[in-house]
Parts: sequence; structure tokens; C-alpha cells
Amino acid sequence: MNNIIKIAWRNLLRYTRRTLLTSSLIALGVALVIVFGGVGNSFRGGVIEIITNSNLGHLQVHKKGYIGSMDNLPLDLSIGEKGLEGLRKVLDSSPEVLSYSERIRFGAMISNFASTTNMRLTAVHPEKESATCPDLPGRIKEGESDPAAFVKPGAIVLPQNIASGLGFKLGDEVVLVANNKDGSVNGLSFRLSGISENIMGPQGKDGYIHLEDARTLLRIEGEEVTEVAVKLKDFDRLTGATSSIKKELADLAGAGQKPGAEAASGAQPGRGAKAGLEVHTWEELSPFASIAKMVALLIIVVRLVLVFIVLVSVLNVMMMSVYERVGEIGTMASIGTPPNKILALFLTEGLSLGFFSGVIGSAAGAGILLLLKALEIPFTFGSMDLVLSPSVPVGEIALALLVVIVISALASLQPALKASRMEPVDALRHV
Amino acid sequence: MSLVILENIKKDYITGEISTPALKGISLSIEPGKFISFIGPSGSGKTTLLNLLGGLDRPTSGKVTVAGTEISALDRRASAKFRGENIGFIFQNFNLIPVLSVYENVEFPLLMVQELPPAERRLRVTEMLEKVGMSDQAHKYPGQISGGQKQRVAVARALAARPKLVLADEPTANLDHATAYKVIGLMHAMKKELDTTFIFATHDQKVVGEAEQIYTIEDGLLSAGVK
Repeated sequence: MNNIIKIAWRNLLRYTRRTLLTSSLIALGVALVIVFGGVGNSFRGGVIEIITNSNLGHLQVHKKGYIGSMDNLPLDLSIGEKGLEGLRKVLDSSPEVLSYSERIRFGAMISNFASTTNMRLTAVHPEKESATCPDLPGRIKEGESDPAAFVKPGAIVLPQNIASGLGFKLGDEVVLVANNKDGSVNGLSFRLSGISENIMGPQGKDGYIHLEDARTLLRIEGEEVTEVAVKLKDFDRLTGATSSIKKELADLAGAGQKPGAEAASGAQPGRGAKAGLEVHTWEELSPFASIAKMVALLIIVVRLVLVFIVLVSVLNVMMMSVYERVGEIGTMASIGTPPNKILALFLTEGLSLGFFSGVIGSAAGAGILLLLKALEIPFTFGSMDLVLSPSVPVGEIALALLVVIVISALASLQPALKASRMEPVDALRHV
Repeated sequence: MSLVILENIKKDYITGEISTPALKGISLSIEPGKFISFIGPSGSGKTTLLNLLGGLDRPTSGKVTVAGTEISALDRRASAKFRGENIGFIFQNFNLIPVLSVYENVEFPLLMVQELPPAERRLRVTEMLEKVGMSDQAHKYPGQISGGQKQRVAVARALAARPKLVLADEPTANLDHATAYKVIGLMHAMKKELDTTFIFATHDQKVVGEAEQIYTIEDGLLSAGVK
């Protein structure tokens, strides 16, 4: 085998310019795939991290049917006290869950006494919200941003667009007027304690008040909430953890439905007594999931381009190589070289070309990614400030190399088979 | 026992619907250790006959037996194996592998065909290069040596595998007068030393003059020559 590799390499070096040109093309393709994959994944990962750590959490639990009418922020599709109790039990006992935050989301009128507008609000316990969405306090650019107390009772955090639109400054009095679930209206005054930057996606432009204030404003008695955001210990375990939480909740609903199904599922009397809870991952909640899928699709397209580059390049080189060396193949066959060794010789040549180019391309791609990481290039996506910090994707490199090797082998196969099947007498006549 | 037996060999080349007979029924026996020449004008069928003797081509009809094996009945793989073990080839254009050095060219059939262990390969290659006087050029590549030297390397390659039969197609056609004589002398010496049968297809009177037996091929038919 060593001799076959030696001869293959020498034949590649025999046509130095052609080999270098082809090799450069393949290496460029591999580097492109790795850089694109690294940058794409960095962008995707960065945005997902901001979205999940700022407001969404990794997954959310709602009363069944809530997501379908989420645009209206319905208060009558809330998780009741008993349901919340069961949910807490499930989340507290799950080894996958790091923290969770109970929320009431609602729409309200906000007024500065001169002007009034609509807005969405999320009511939270600040310490639980900070544990679940650790980047949220960091989004508060003006005012109180202590993770444990970024919104105290009587205080409100407004998003930049609302604050500037109504001309609010820190410390100003803010009036919120909201409908409760029965339709009656109530109003409450707050003191503006913080102004947060906007980010894309649902809840990206919500204001924040304390959970107890929301209960007062909305006249909610007891511990009713509209959603629970959950942060997992390991984001990569999202699918498995979601399934296991769903199963636990289904079991809980099943057990609760015999003597008191309504209570266990958090259902309100008269509103689908058998309705349970539903779990949604960030992907189901954020429109960015479509962009993330698009990025993944683009990476696949770039990989396909690489496949074509390698296929055409190696096929071209190997076909030329066989055509130019027909006489040589005849000589080898005439002195008794078995067809399988002639096949191996040309296959090795194509594989060596692909492998060598792949390694060079991988090294170049990894080098470019390391350089980009070191440069920490900042960029803005929507209203989010991101830093391009791609890591070297070992899996991507291994996959690119594997693709190059497999495609090189496939591209070399036809010319190699042609060489091995040549009749020596015909090949010698070609001299 | 004859080394080569040809029994009523016919070979037709078919182009489209036209069949052109190259050999029209040749029968012949050749004893081991002979120095034999096929002569005849261009297109008479000399190379075709050599190709059939070497198992590079199959006759349209008839039997070719070399060293007791009917090579005209072997499949491609078995035919390649047989050639590697029993037949050496020397070509008009030398046909050395350009990416291999002189040493590696001679070693090629021992390594790729006979798969001999390294020590034995080294011994045989060194011995053959010494015999053809190319030991000092062993590290050079075919592009760095003269035509005569190339043919000496080709002789060494053909003989390194210790074949029973060496087939040489116009081995001196691309060599000058003096070099051609040297190469013929070398082959003659090798024949004596190794008891190998040499069969030439040639126009060259220098080669013909050295042959122990000459056969003339004309219009696909064989007739015994002057010796």
C-alpha cells in the first residue's frame, strides 16, 4: 500500500500546476464551508443566547390554548393555583431544570397624564426572572438593574420605545390601566425605575412590573400566572428535557383528572375542565427560529457547493490523468500488474488529492475562524448587538473532510475503473 | 518440452462490418533458451503474434500455450498473473514508468506483481542493474537518462522477474547503431546466463543477425527463415 501511495503522490506532483490549481480550488471550498459554518453557527448561537437569556427562557409552560391566542394576552387562559402547584412540583424535581420564572403577561394602557398608548407588560419576581433570563437586567440601560431587585413593588421598567415615545424619565410617575379577566378596568400608579433596550422577538418590547403589583392591578386573587419560563441546565438537552417535562405534566394531568382534574390541570370551571398545560420550546415561540433554520439550510447549500467543487475537480483531474497515461497503464498491465492494483493506484491518487486539499482547506478555515474570534468583530442584528466570536467547529471540519474524501473516492472511481479495465494491447497501442 | 506452442492461430481485426485477417493460421513450437526473431514488413502481423504470445491479446481461433499453460483461455486477472510470473516485455519505446527511478522501475514487477520480500527485491534489482551496467544510474529518473540506457533498464526490468520468456517488439528501433549493438549483446548475454527464451519482432538486421532462428511473417502466414 505504501508503494501505491508513493506512486500516487509522485503522479500528482508530476503535474504540479494542475494539482496545485485543483487542490487550491478544493481547499478554498473546504475553507469556505468551515468559515461559513463557524460564522453561521456563531451568529445563530449568539442570537439564540440573547433571545433565551433575555426574555424567552429555553422553554415556556402555558395553559393549553394560550399560545394560540397569545396575541391577545388572554388572562382567562391562566394557570390556576392547583395547576401551578403541580407544575412547580414537576419543575422542582426535574434534574434538567436550572430555574424557572412565573409570569403574568397582559396588555395595558400607559399614560403620562397627557398622552396614552398601549403596551405589553410582563409581571415577574425579579430574582426568579434574573435566574431564568440572566441577560435581562443587563438590558436595563438606565436605572435600577440589580438582578435581585430590578423591578420592586410599585416600580416599572419600560422599554426604550415607550419611554422615549411618551417622554418618560427615570423617577417619573407612570399610570397603567388594564382590564382584568372579567372585563372590569383598574388603574395603578408606578414609579419609572428603569429603561430597557429592545430586542427582537416576543416580549422584546415588554415593560416589567412586580408580580404582586400585577395581581393587584388585575385583581387576581391567589397565585394564578399566565406563563412559566424555564431555563435548563444544558441547552443542548432541550429536546430531551422538553419531552420529559411534557411527560411529567401529562402524568400529572392524568392523575389529577380522576378526583379533581380541573384543579390539577389548572383549568377554570366551565372552560374546558380537561384542558392541561402545554410546553413550548423557544423555537416554537420565536420567529428567529425560522432564521436559524434558514442559516442551517444555507450551511447545507454551501456544503452541497463543496460537493460539486470536489466532484468536478477530482473527476476532471483523474479523467485527464487516465487519458494522459493510457500507455503507462498498458505497460503496467502488460508486465502483469493486476487490475485491482491499477484501480487502487488511481483511486489513491484521487483520494490523496482530496485528502491533502481537505486538510489544507480545514487548516485555512480553522485559521480564519481563530482570527475572527481574536478580532471580536461587533455587529448589529435587528436591535441586538452581537460580537462575532466563532469557535472552530470540530464536527464541521470532520464532516467537511469526510465529504471531501467520500466525494474524491466517488469521483476517482469511474476513471480508476476505466484504467483497470483497459485491455493492455489497446492501451499499448496508444503509446 | 516446448516452451511455446501455437496451434493454428488466427486473428481477425473487426472494424464495423469489415473483418481484416492479421494472422491466417500459424502453428509453431519454440524450445526453451532460444533467441528467435520474427521478421516481416510493417503490417505483416509480427506485433500481433507477439501480443498473442504474451497473453496481451486473444486469438480469434487456435490455442496459445506457454510453459504448459493455455494462455489464450485465461481470464484478464489470471492472464496478468501469468505474465507477471512467466513473461517479460521489452518495448520499442522503452515504456519505463516516468515517476519511478531506474531502481524503482526494475523493482516494480517484483513489488507490484510478484510481491517479493524487500531483501530479495533489493538483491535481484541490484544484481540486474549490475548486469546491464546501470548501477551508477539507479537513482535517476527515466527523463534523466539516454535512450540506450532506458532500453538497458527495460531489459533489466524484463529479466528481474526471472521470466521463462522475454518478448521484445522492435527493441532497437529507437536506438543508434552502436547502442543497438550494445543492447543486443546485453540480451544475448542475459539469454546465456539466465537461459531465458527471447523472441523478437523486428526489422533490424542487427537483431536478425544475432537470432538462432528466424521466422518470416508475410500476409499473416509464417515461414521459417534462413537460420
